[in-house]
Amino acid sequence: MTFYCAFAEEYHIKIDSEVTGKLLNIEGNEAKFNEYRDIRDGLYGSVHLNYDSDFFFDFKASDIGYDTQHYRLDSGKWGSFKYFLQYDEIPHNITYGARSFYSGIGTGDLVGIPNTNINTWSTFDYSIKRKNYTGGVKLDFLKPFYVDISISREEKSGLKPTAAEGGIGFGNMVELPELIDYSTNSLKLEVGYAKNPLFGSLSLFYSVFDNDNEILNFNNPFIPGNPRDLLTLPPDNKYYKVAFKSTVKLPMNSKFNINLGYARTKSDATLLNSYYGDGVLKSVSLSDLVFSGKIDTQNYDFILTSNPVLFLDTKVFYKYYKRKNKSDTITTTDGTETFINPLFGHNKKRYGLELTFRLPARLCLIAAYNHVMEKRDREDVPKNDDNIYSVDLKWNGLDFMNLKVGYEKLHRKAEFHAPDVAQDNPEFIETFVQRFDVASKDRDTYKASIDIYPIENLTFGIGYKNKKTDYKDVTLGLREARGDEININVDYTIGEFMKLAAYWDYEMIQYYQFQRRLPFNATTGFDPATPPAPSTFNWDLKQKDRSFDYGIGADIPIISKKLTLRLQHDYVKSDGTADYTYYLGINPLPAGRTQDNIDISNWDDYRLRAYMVKAIYYVTKKISLSAGYVYEKYTYSDALLDAYQYILGNPPNTYLTGAYKDQEYKANIIFLAVAYRF
Amino acid sequence: MRKKIITIISILFLILFAINTQKSTEGYVGYVGSEICKGCHEGIYNSFIKSIHGKKPLPDSPINKEGCECCHGPGTGHVEKGGGKGVAIFAFDRKIDTKEKSSKCLTCHEESKVLAFWDISKHRSEKVSCDNCHSVHVGIDRNLLKEIEPYLCYTCHRDIRSQANRQAHHPIREGKIKCSQCHNPMGSFGKKMVRADSINELCYICHSEKRGPFMWEHPPVSEDCLNCHVPHGSNHTKLLAKKPPPLCQSCHDVRGHPGDIYTRFETFRGASTVNRMVARACLNCHTNIHGSNGPSVRGSHFLR
Repeated sequence: MTFYCAFAEEYHIKIDSEVTGKLLNIEGNEAKFNEYRDIRDGLYGSVHLNYDSDFFFDFKASDIGYDTQHYRLDSGKWGSFKYFLQYDEIPHNITYGARSFYSGIGTGDLVGIPNTNINTWSTFDYSIKRKNYTGGVKLDFLKPFYVDISISREEKSGLKPTAAEGGIGFGNMVELPELIDYSTNSLKLEVGYAKNPLFGSLSLFYSVFDNDNEILNFNNPFIPGNPRDLLTLPPDNKYYKVAFKSTVKLPMNSKFNINLGYARTKSDATLLNSYYGDGVLKSVSLSDLVFSGKIDTQNYDFILTSNPVLFLDTKVFYKYYKRKNKSDTITTTDGTETFINPLFGHNKKRYGLELTFRLPARLCLIAAYNHVMEKRDREDVPKNDDNIYSVDLKWNGLDFMNLKVGYEKLHRKAEFHAPDVAQDNPEFIETFVQRFDVASKDRDTYKASIDIYPIENLTFGIGYKNKKTDYKDVTLGLREARGDEININVDYTIGEFMKLAAYWDYEMIQYYQFQRRLPFNATTGFDPATPPAPSTFNWDLKQKDRSFDYGIGADIPIISKKLTLRLQHDYVKSDGTADYTYYLGINPLPAGRTQDNIDISNWDDYRLRAYMVKAIYYVTKKISLSAGYVYEKYTYSDALLDAYQYILGNPPNTYLTGAYKDQEYKANIIFLAVAYRF
Repeated sequence: MRKKIITIISILFLILFAINTQKSTEGYVGYVGSEICKGCHEGIYNSFIKSIHGKKPLPDSPINKEGCECCHGPGTGHVEKGGGKGVAIFAFDRKIDTKEKSSKCLTCHEESKVLAFWDISKHRSEKVSCDNCHSVHVGIDRNLLKEIEPYLCYTCHRDIRSQANRQAHHPIREGKIKCSQCHNPMGSFGKKMVRADSINELCYICHSEKRGPFMWEHPPVSEDCLNCHVPHGSNHTKLLAKKPPPLCQSCHDVRGHPGDIYTRFETFRGASTVNRMVARACLNCHTNIHGSNGPSVRGSHFLR
């Protein structure tokens, strides 16, 4: 849709501009509707300017003046140098009209005494905006050498929900609006050489994160006198990374690829030497009042790819990644207790082989083996060994079809260390807890897909994947996960009459976890095999997440090259359930509960329906008019948010602000656009 | 027995080798020049001439070399035989081996940082060729992409489309994040072709406040963000893989509240509402779950 003005053969100028007027009617949660958008009543402008000759200049601007505005300029001299400048905004609207009894919202000092009349509370919006400023230069005239330099600044500001526990006994909390006032400045410098048979580059990435509020001050609503309390927020940090990448061509169509990287992250935080606990201010003794954080990472990749004979491609690889925590160890003496921050680090070695056989009849077989060894500074599982085998078969023997089937097996061994404690020690329960991120497991993944092109203008694709994970040694925790998904898409162009596109997706994920309930002061019963008692028993949970979505769209030329009608409908639905079971033996269920009425049928359930109708009329080659209507309806139900209350308990033990409350909306948008090109 | 097996495998190997080398003996001779191509393919020629491949100021562009025949090979045979799709000419159609198609592009583009690592890319081993994503003649942008992201990627990655449609998602469908910001489709050393050596390194580019380093670290967080989050989209707020409390309870089952059973009875609608089973559940109190510099037990439990 571009009209070129050829003033001379040597250069082209292109200017596209569009102005769109929008009228919005919305009922319900505008923050969810505009989560990452900024749709409201008003005029939206976009411009694209392009000049092309020995030098080029390409400028694009969209959503000018709105929270999603984007500007980018690319310019330079062909084959010599290029530069770009970009400004981009991304909003993240969470909840509008949240409430809090605090004043000073939007600062790092929240002041206020709690009251139970929420109508007297201040209202505010949970919303975060990112502003990205980026620029860069690439020098090509030094070929085969090149230089790439870019700098960026990201400013992130707004409010997000955070919280603090009460500091008095157990079970009290207050939700707090946290001021976000971050900036991140980054520099990337890369120099390289690219000429066969060698490529090599050396790069430096340096990034400085600055948080203007490292502490959130607030009046603690639960402690008598509502004293000032503190919540720590992310500290400033500095990060740099030096990397060297290279590839060199070798005989037998081989290439040796190298990636070496070294990075360091540093932070400094002034530590708090007191806190509220059990309702009183407790002083702690610290071995150092300043915590200096330092994490070093090293990464080495070596990959040899080869094509020794026409029908065989090979890939042999080795990767080493190490995260070394060199931060300060701080000893905190809190009354009779001593706390020492553990320094968590880990390293991972991965090696393997991938063989791709190009077989007769346009069959392709890919067989791969991966071995991963991971060691970590963690008491429960300091070591994992993974063996991963996979085989994929692809066939495109028919010109109108591609077929793929694949299988992958992951077998993980975990070196589990149970605590060496007596059975009456509360830590004994850890003997039965293996955490899913590191636990032994077997995972089987099957996948199949077929893409068919029966006629030139029709494509049809369908894919299926089944993934089952068995955490075989786990007694308490996640024991099984299973996912099944089907995805379909169709594209069909019926001559000049119509263009149709449709998709359909379904996924079901199931989790099974087995847990044990023990009272806070339990002194026995840490073994899940212990017979149940009224307050000490096992329970399990089966969760299901069903997701379903489809979309259908059509472009219909009503009058050829003059009037086009575009229709689009999208539908997204999720249905989650949580099925709980108490294993109480002969003991009765707690009062009021039955095995059925504890189950949850609304577990992040939602439904989004969107319809669009748009007509585009090409008045002349230079001018087009579009008009359209969009309807969106979003419904949401979740057990943790339905029938929302700001205050719980009497006397109150919980003060909430309404974050993520009432997410439903219904929106009607009418739009009219004029586009002009010259 | 072993000798027989070795012999059979060797014979099979040789047969396959012979079959696969046969194609490479085919060749083309004689260039005709782009003007001749234009005679029959005027529309395509006009698109090509406006694309980056037709830029005369760009010293290495095809227009400054053999023009159309730079990619399609010499056209004399094609002309002599009266034309036709793929007749004595290299056509980028489905029948041609992906590697062969990509090798045409790599002739010029391999000597660049963008394609230096194409040989290690998953796309290459999955038999994706350049023309699956790029048009040789005209595209929607300077990179000659056939479609804008993410829709181009969704053509094959249909499961990601489904995830990105969910209620908690990165702003992919809103066009504020492109697939290629996190992934390098041309090949990368990272898992899933991400533009970083580890998942956390990638996430920290935008979420730099999560870098810490914190005095109190949560090991699964420091090891891999994807232990708790799914990157493209989830049914659960904050792109969590599962909802808390069950997500947290998958790992934390000790006496007291971590192992307690929180059901519908403990929600806002329930008869015994507790703050561990409403709103943000465990995160209502353990708010600094990504790491804390808080004092004593308040820090070690990510409460302050």
